[in-house]
Amino acid sequence: MYVAARGGEEAIQNAETLYRALNGPLSPALVEGIERALPYLVDRVMAEGSLYAPDLAALAIAQTGGDLYEAVLLLRAYRSTVPRLAYAEPLTDADLVVVRRISAAFKDIPGGQVLGPTLDYSHRILNTEALSRDVQPEPPAEAEEPAPRGYFSVADWHRLNGLLAPTAKGEEPVAPGELPDVTRDPIAFPAPRAHRLQSLARAETGGVLALGYASMRGFGLIHPTVNEVRLAYADVRLRHPITGVAFSLGRARISACEVVNNMADRLELGFAATLGWNEVKIIAGAMLDMEMDKADAHPAHTEEFVLYHTEAVESSGFCIHYKLPHYVTFNSGLDALRRVLLKRDTEQRKRVIDEPVVVEGEEALA
Amino acid sequence: MLAFSSPDAFGQPLDAPRLVMTPPLLSARGLQRRYGAIVALKDVDLDVYPGEVLGIVGESGSGKSTLLRLLNLEEPADGGSYTLAVAEYAGRDLFGLDRFQKRQMRVRHIGIVYQHPHLGLRMGTTSGGNVADRLILAGERSFSRLRGAAREALNASEFPLERIDDLPRQLSGGMQQRVQLAKAIALRPALLLLDEPTSGLDVSVQARVLDTLKRLQRETRVTTVIVSHDLGVIRTLADRVIVMRRGRVVEVGLADQVLDDPQDAYTQQLVHAKL
Amino acid sequence: MNLSDLSTPTRDYSYAFLDAFAKRELRRRILKAIAIPGYQVPYASRELPIARGWGTGGLQVSLSLVGPQDTIKVIDQGDDQSVNAANLRRFIARMSGVATTFDTLAATVIQSRHRVPEEILSEGQILVLQVPDPEPLRRATPSMTIAREMHADADYAVMWLNLYEQIVRYGEFTGGASYPVLVHSRYVMSPSPIPRWDNPKLHQAAHLTLLSAGREKRLYAVPPYTDVRPLEFEDVFFKVESQYGRRDRMTGATHKFMDEIAHADGSSTFSLSDTGYQDKLVKRQSGEAVTVGATYYDDHGEFYHAGFLKS
Repeated sequence: MYVAARGGEEAIQNAETLYRALNGPLSPALVEGIERALPYLVDRVMAEGSLYAPDLAALAIAQTGGDLYEAVLLLRAYRSTVPRLAYAEPLTDADLVVVRRISAAFKDIPGGQVLGPTLDYSHRILNTEALSRDVQPEPPAEAEEPAPRGYFSVADWHRLNGLLAPTAKGEEPVAPGELPDVTRDPIAFPAPRAHRLQSLARAETGGVLALGYASMRGFGLIHPTVNEVRLAYADVRLRHPITGVAFSLGRARISACEVVNNMADRLELGFAATLGWNEVKIIAGAMLDMEMDKADAHPAHTEEFVLYHTEAVESSGFCIHYKLPHYVTFNSGLDALRRVLLKRDTEQRKRVIDEPVVVEGEEALA
Repeated sequence: MLAFSSPDAFGQPLDAPRLVMTPPLLSARGLQRRYGAIVALKDVDLDVYPGEVLGIVGESGSGKSTLLRLLNLEEPADGGSYTLAVAEYAGRDLFGLDRFQKRQMRVRHIGIVYQHPHLGLRMGTTSGGNVADRLILAGERSFSRLRGAAREALNASEFPLERIDDLPRQLSGGMQQRVQLAKAIALRPALLLLDEPTSGLDVSVQARVLDTLKRLQRETRVTTVIVSHDLGVIRTLADRVIVMRRGRVVEVGLADQVLDDPQDAYTQQLVHAKL
Repeated sequence: MNLSDLSTPTRDYSYAFLDAFAKRELRRRILKAIAIPGYQVPYASRELPIARGWGTGGLQVSLSLVGPQDTIKVIDQGDDQSVNAANLRRFIARMSGVATTFDTLAATVIQSRHRVPEEILSEGQILVLQVPDPEPLRRATPSMTIAREMHADADYAVMWLNLYEQIVRYGEFTGGASYPVLVHSRYVMSPSPIPRWDNPKLHQAAHLTLLSAGREKRLYAVPPYTDVRPLEFEDVFFKVESQYGRRDRMTGATHKFMDEIAHADGSSTFSLSDTGYQDKLVKRQSGEAVTVGATYYDDHGEFYHAGFLKS
């Protein structure tokens, strides 16, 4: 009987010990191995965990035996203990070191379609050889010339042609420190665009896909086109507080997606970006970003619905909370139910409704 | 307590409307309403006098339902002013009220019956509850008084009281309209708005609902604005008529005058098409 | 003297876990909540090392309140030793070094899931209630945006309409726990899923009640000596759960909130839900010196504010 588990502290200690024992030992080698061998998993956890720290994300995965909801919670909780010290410089398209960048809107784009690392055009076949022997990947071919530092933005091409408004959704850029921050202020609706994009970036991947897919499949109003998908490395640049000189703190993997929708007299943009490379999430997220602007969006694509229900930590946490004891609330409901049954049994319903109200004695409920 | 069925309580029920003697209860000037490129209302002026029934006629899209929604403070006007001579807000432009004041105004002083019952009723709440809703909004917190007032208003609307605890979705169209009517009159509003109240009903039911409306209006002398495309309905109920076309008023006059001897070319077409 | 004597040694975690900025924000929001009784104050709500929906709202408030001199009691469904209560108590103590207790009278801060203790709380004590859903209007509208407008307009008619419908259909109010209340004649508030038995304890209480929903990012308060009235009609009254005929199987106590213990033959026995109180009654019966406080309901089931519960 877990509910009134007397000596609860000992019981939970034992439960945790059993969990850890089944998951096996932790070691620096295991954490490093996860970081090296499972980069897409690490990226997903960093995005949902809202913290760029590949080593900590790998540790979180190791420590939870790969239970991603738990791993994300670990990162988020760790995040609550660290103060915010500074704001990085904003990034533009030109600051990115792009390794993959494709557009579905044009056959060719300035700078070219850069496929980069992807399985998109490959046969998905289990490599069973690796069950019995080591398999080394082939070394990638060297490019004939080094990749350019920045790529031409397809959205800029639309703007040059007068097809797209100069600023996204009519919002002017603001200083990084003044951006509305969803980790410092609770979201209210209609949400500032910064809150929306931050929430999508942190959202649970499966949830974003499910709602985004519902939109794509026909519950949405639109059939947008992928304007650009980018996987890139970005220098996180900070300005020295005294000298004012900008310097790089290091490189982060980021991904971003733009979708465009043809509104007959203009184009309209949807956008999503995440820490780490999360292609499915950013495409679905960009579609939702666009869908959420629609006045009569399907209920599942309204801003409040999407952003509340894709929150990674809140949704999973609330789901598992149903395992907690609820006997007081259940009993309170039982009391009300028994009163109703009693009333029905004694057939006093009519009398109570249309004549002065009669109060039942407590004895009747015993 | 309310006393709907006693004509004595309301002075001389058979008096002709005192059209010129008293200032209007409802006064609207220069009403404008656009939906994008579509002009729904343009420069509409309106006066309705205490106790009179004003009929608004016109074909679909003439702006008559839009006008009613504006008078019900359901949606904003793009221009113009609107006053009702009721105690709290007499002389105030009602379009300038805030959300809370508009709600107070609608609860206390304006009743409405829609063509589609789902606009006026909570379909998952009992008929009595739908009427009680309005009294609760006005602050009533006694169950027995709520119950009593709901019964009284439903009775005045000639709703069968044994069905007071049925849900609207279990009722016929005519009965649903009676519930709407009971809800509209439960607080004795200054202004009663009727938007095609009998349009969805078959002919015999329509006649009975019209009888109820006519009797209630005669007994309570509630100032009424009724919108209908059905000139028969207008002739039965209205003292005065305005004719609308493409968002404008094209003719105003006493009901008999307008319907029997229309002056405007469009009204002539409308009347002849019907007759 | 050297530098390390003058500075605070580095720790892996801040005092009481949350960083100082987060605690400052919480304290400000708590002050606002106290200033506007029953109003839901939005707050950022940091993630904590326990799952969302497991008391993170209450826990953040507790962590922002406690100092080394405090004594904390944590209960879940009235029980100090249920697993989640034990876990939360252990975490607060580990991160802040506060003393812990099972005794309601000894606690300065009581964090609770779904119960208010049976012994009357006094001035200076703080009750922190964990809240799964702060919005009493949720059944009227699932949209937080619309609900906020309804609160702003005090547009609460739908709540009484629900009561009307309950009487018409069932002859009784059918609300269980989380029975909504009107605070200071202004805001309709969810008291959190405490049983109706506990609702009246918030009315004109000597203690401060803070209610916090971590997942939904809202906190609200009932300051000491504030009117908290359950929604009811002038002529049909709110009822607490009947404890008539129920007797605690360990101490024989009556007229307190009882857990129903189901038996295989379909019968039930009863046990005091407030286990800290039960422990003290057991000790007293075995002759130990123990202070048992006055209770909100006396041994005849009479509530301590005479006349507040109408029958």
